[in-house]
Amino acid sequence: MNGHNEQNLKELFGKFLSNEQADKAVGDVQRAEQILREYPAPEPDAELIFDIKSRITTKVLHRRADVFTEIVYRATIVAAALMILTAIGLKLFDRGPTGTAEYASIIPNVLWESNDITADDMDLLILTAEIEQIEEQARTLLLGENGGNGERDMMELEIELVAIEVGFWKE
Amino acid sequence: MTEIKDLAQIIAGCKNGDAECFSQVVDMYASRCYGYFYRLTGNKDVSDDLLGELFVKLAEKISSYKGRSFEGWLFKIASNIFHDYLRRKQRWTRLLQVRKRHVRTETTELGQLDSERIDRLQVELGNLDKDTRELIMLRFYSQLSFKELAKMRSEPIGTTLSKLHRGLRKLRELMEG
Repeated sequence: MNGHNEQNLKELFGKFLSNEQADKAVGDVQRAEQILREYPAPEPDAELIFDIKSRITTKVLHRRADVFTEIVYRATIVAAALMILTAIGLKLFDRGPTGTAEYASIIPNVLWESNDITADDMDLLILTAEIEQIEEQARTLLLGENGGNGERDMMELEIELVAIEVGFWKE
Repeated sequence: MTEIKDLAQIIAGCKNGDAECFSQVVDMYASRCYGYFYRLTGNKDVSDDLLGELFVKLAEKISSYKGRSFEGWLFKIASNIFHDYLRRKQRWTRLLQVRKRHVRTETTELGQLDSERIDRLQVELGNLDKDTRELIMLRFYSQLSFKELAKMRSEPIGTTLSKLHRGLRKLRELMEG
């Protein structure tokens, strides 16, 4: 215990006591501290020191483990929060293309995509057949192949054609 | 200056959780802190417990140390631990009194001292009042300046100086008488 900090005891006592009293006070302190040095306290046992160091090491290791666990815990919370925010963001802002509207066609796509419309609709098939038949009759009349009254036959054909057309659209 | 730098490095290591640095702090201060506890309690077993408690507490609180006087900080913890011990002891004593047992409570009474190890200094310290005894031990083992002691005790430096002087003078008279 020789390492007391270097402070001038006399100067310190001199702030409160006379010069003579300060000298005496310094002497009292120094003599008493000399007595304390002459009666050293027992030293702690080596086993005690070893035990203390072990306890501190255990505590430090536990604290490190606690810090690591806390970091992982916090990182998990942050990651979960980010995932939730991302999901909410996608729901809020990703509503698909804007400014365009899609309408369902009343005509099946297969009809639009087909190149053979007559095969897709029985009515159209019949109409087409009738038209082809009338065209054939008209061609025969125009060529005079049947030898009959051409003008009257053409008129009957036209009437028949109109009737077919009206009947078709009525259905 | 080198010693101060070394201590600063050791404390920095402690703050980083380096067990080896804690071990060095124990080696550096165990003897002084043990002397402080022993001279106040006069009991080796109690001093063992208090010393262990002190360094475990140091390991817990090292992050709160802000770089002022390390001895001042360490012995403030030691002083708090000693006062906690006194409070526990007083509670225990009251409990025993309720049970109609006669237990002597003074910390420095011979009945509680290590009879084999007791020296004259320990006996005469028991004749000082508790506060003066603690101040003398704090000054001697912590090696703090009067200014630091006064700050720790939250009292004017003149008061600390006066109490210490009177206490040491009385101790000297007792030892030389």
